[in-house]
Amino acid sequence: MKKRVLTVDDSRTIRNMLLVTLNNAGFETIQAEDGIEGLEVLETSNPDVIVTDINMPRLDGFGFIEGVRKNDKYRAIPILVLTTESDAEKKNRARQAGATGWIVKPFDPIKLIDAIERVTA
Amino acid sequence: MDMNEIKEIFFQECEEQLAELESGLMKLNDGDRDPETVNAVFRAVHSIKGGAGAFGLDDLVAFAHVFETTLDCVRSNTLEPSPDVLKVMLKSADVLADLTNAARDGGTVDAARSQTLVRELAALAKGELPQPVAVVQETVPVQEPAPAPAAASDEAEFAPVPFSFDDFGLDEPETQPEPVGKPQYDISFAPRNELYAKGNEATLLLRDLSRLGDMSIRCSTDSVPLLDELDPEAAYFSWKISLATDRGEDAIRSVFEFAEWDCDLTIEATHGNPSTVTMDENELPMQPVPFDLSVLDEDEAETIGGIVEQEEAIAAAEAHLESLNASVMAAQGVSNVVVLADNDSRAEALKNNSSQPQAMQASVGQTIRVDLDRVDRLINLVGELVINQAMLSQSVIENDSHGVSAINMGLEDLQQLTREIQDSVMAIRAQPVKPVFQRMARIVREIADTTGKSVRLVTEGENTEVDKTVIDKLAEPLTHMIRNAVDHGLETPEKRLAAGKSAEGTVRLTAKHRSGRIVIELADDGAGINRDRVRQKAIDNDLIAADANLSDEEIDNLIFHAGFSTAEKVSDISGRGVGMDVVKRSIQALGGRISIQSRPGQGSVFTMSLPLTLAVLDGMVVTVANQTLVVPLTAIVETLQPEASAVHSFGAQQRLISIRNSFCPLVDVGQILDFRQTQADPMAGVALLVESEGGGQRALMVDAIQGQRQVVIKSLEANYNHVPGIAAATILGDGRVALILDVDAVVAASRGQSLRADMPMAVAG
Amino acid sequence: MAVKTQTVQTLTLPAVLDLNAASALKTQLLALRGSPVTIDAGQVDRLGTLCLQVLVSAGRTWEADNLPYTYENASDAFAKTTALLGVSVEQRHGEH
Repeated sequence: MKKRVLTVDDSRTIRNMLLVTLNNAGFETIQAEDGIEGLEVLETSNPDVIVTDINMPRLDGFGFIEGVRKNDKYRAIPILVLTTESDAEKKNRARQAGATGWIVKPFDPIKLIDAIERVTA
Repeated sequence: MDMNEIKEIFFQECEEQLAELESGLMKLNDGDRDPETVNAVFRAVHSIKGGAGAFGLDDLVAFAHVFETTLDCVRSNTLEPSPDVLKVMLKSADVLADLTNAARDGGTVDAARSQTLVRELAALAKGELPQPVAVVQETVPVQEPAPAPAAASDEAEFAPVPFSFDDFGLDEPETQPEPVGKPQYDISFAPRNELYAKGNEATLLLRDLSRLGDMSIRCSTDSVPLLDELDPEAAYFSWKISLATDRGEDAIRSVFEFAEWDCDLTIEATHGNPSTVTMDENELPMQPVPFDLSVLDEDEAETIGGIVEQEEAIAAAEAHLESLNASVMAAQGVSNVVVLADNDSRAEALKNNSSQPQAMQASVGQTIRVDLDRVDRLINLVGELVINQAMLSQSVIENDSHGVSAINMGLEDLQQLTREIQDSVMAIRAQPVKPVFQRMARIVREIADTTGKSVRLVTEGENTEVDKTVIDKLAEPLTHMIRNAVDHGLETPEKRLAAGKSAEGTVRLTAKHRSGRIVIELADDGAGINRDRVRQKAIDNDLIAADANLSDEEIDNLIFHAGFSTAEKVSDISGRGVGMDVVKRSIQALGGRISIQSRPGQGSVFTMSLPLTLAVLDGMVVTVANQTLVVPLTAIVETLQPEASAVHSFGAQQRLISIRNSFCPLVDVGQILDFRQTQADPMAGVALLVESEGGGQRALMVDAIQGQRQVVIKSLEANYNHVPGIAAATILGDGRVALILDVDAVVAASRGQSLRADMPMAVAG
Repeated sequence: MAVKTQTVQTLTLPAVLDLNAASALKTQLLALRGSPVTIDAGQVDRLGTLCLQVLVSAGRTWEADNLPYTYENASDAFAKTTALLGVSVEQRHGEH
């Protein structure tokens, strides 16, 4: 059974890079464009892990993570924050919101896959 | 989808983000302080930086980073987006656009300019006021060829620091000679509740830890209470671990990187063997942990194969990336794509004016990107459908004069449906004029800088939609007109102040729909047309007689005459050897019209009216020498029935018709097109008064008018050959092919230039 | 002894025992309190720490109640995870 990854990112470029990287690595990939859509897609996709951006319109990554953690059904899903923010403050906010881990963009396919492997069974 | 395609997507996205950036900055410039506006601006730059980073576009990343840092100050309210600040930011947006273009097409970027801006942006981020541009510019040494990173390198830690777990997992074992016995570490690990709440899992951390080397573990379960008192989501277990690994302490720490905030963790290097770990008498002995933990991965059976496959796949993905980075972007252009918005949101977007910044966010509907070819194929098919439906209607009417009502009603429904389908399909190609309008903002800034004038561009109705082809062709004439408006229309700040105006001139660009066409207005609040000078110039150029009695409007419209230019010398800016006649011609080539209203001292308004699509055309169907022709309705000023008294001959062949006290050459279309050798009798036909390039009027003689109708344009070039005097063809309801007249070519031919000048068998006309 | 007259209850663990399963597992076990229990771990694919804590707590509770609490059919995943975490559930077979 393939592991299913939900990616949430408003950048079409990054979405496509994630798609190619994850599909090549044998994951099933589901994509959303912002936090609101992410929460909607979550209901139907039941992913094994979530990779999300921080800066997004409508609902940003912090809000999205909080939304997932408040959801009784999906709060156990590991969430990786994928963002160019490398400073501790942003990381901390993401952690406080409930992020499991993070990957700093520009991501390297190996590191992305590795981080996913680390937080999933 | 390969990396090259993704890179194309990236550049397309950059264009969109740059447009977002520009429109957001303009809103801020207009006093919009909605946090979402600032966020959108920040996101645009951030997103460009993110994508650029992924493709190793370092210049772009470096500049975007400095820009983003300054925008973040605005976002966090530490920097007020004053007009001066926004000036720097708008220029930075221009440079960001240049850098993006350079990254895509390999062009060059004004090094001094981007360096200056990097300094200014950095200064703003530090809370310094913007410096006068001129002073800064002259002090900047030009560095070639990659200015941005060099300039930015002293700007703190802009480079994204990749999160490193290099030593972990999939990496090859280190090649260093192993010391005798691997280093030994004692690790104590006590999770807190938050660790589990955030989706981390001790089992996974311990699994990863065990993969580093030989591990023994002891779990302390002492704090686990009886079931009644147990909080099922609290952390009770803690561990003492002994690990022999040559991967180093960093590798151990990196296992806990995500978890270290939510646990108590100590890692100590010991030199002895595991048995020296202190142990309480009543504690369980350390349990060696088997290295084979494959079962902990989701799929037992496939795990080993799966990992190998994944590694291969990752290597392949890496190779993709590397080859991508190594290869220069292929010369292929970004493919032509339209974004389809769903109808509801489009309607909503139309309702939303640009003056409602907040509403826009909600009205951005879902879109799909579709290859333009596909849309055009659909448009063609619908065109066929329209024709087919018309033919069907006609043959039913002809064959059944009694009129079977059911069939007729069905046909009417079909006609209605066909028309609706056609409109909907046309709407697919429709795009807001926003991107073109936004490009104009930059033009205004640049020319304002060059001329030393202070200009404010106001745009309205940028969500007005029009066919993509029209949009694509609109940029050039608009650019020229904007330059003209700033260069010639607006006065210098000193003159404006002297005239009692504000020092800052305003150029207003407006788009709206009016009776099935798009109307674009360009208004300036400058000095208006200097009619005395225009008139004098026209006389000098023999455009008008010295004693000609012209209305103000007629004088104003003289500026559209070929070769007319009032500027003393052709200026760098609006000149370029191009006059308003060229603008008029390109608007007319789009089936449009342009006019000017000017009020001395108050400014000028140029009004352009364009068709919403180039795929259909409102035409007048006429008969010429038993042929059916279509004359574009936009070219026709009026139709008239010549009377014998109004027609005057001169020379062997030439005839004139007098219309309200002025004479206009009479041109027999049939003769010009070689449909007949001798001129038809003007009194037996109809004259179409047309206006063509340069504003020249001609009365085109046709034999009869059949009616007006919308026709679907079929390119002759694509299906047959270019035919002089003919713009395109269409198929009428009765199945006949009708040619669409190229009015400009016919008028030019009537001036003595042969239609067949470009044909090998040319006969001088 | 009273113990021998009681019916042994069997609790079959679900395949996934993650964060979300911990509360439910506790509730299920509490409902069985007072009876000897056999935990069937044969279907377990994924055993998370929180659920293992619940199981250990239950074992301790049954021990305090002086009732048998045993595991059977431990799946590979169950056995390996407990071994990895250093928690030896097998040793809790039966009573002291």
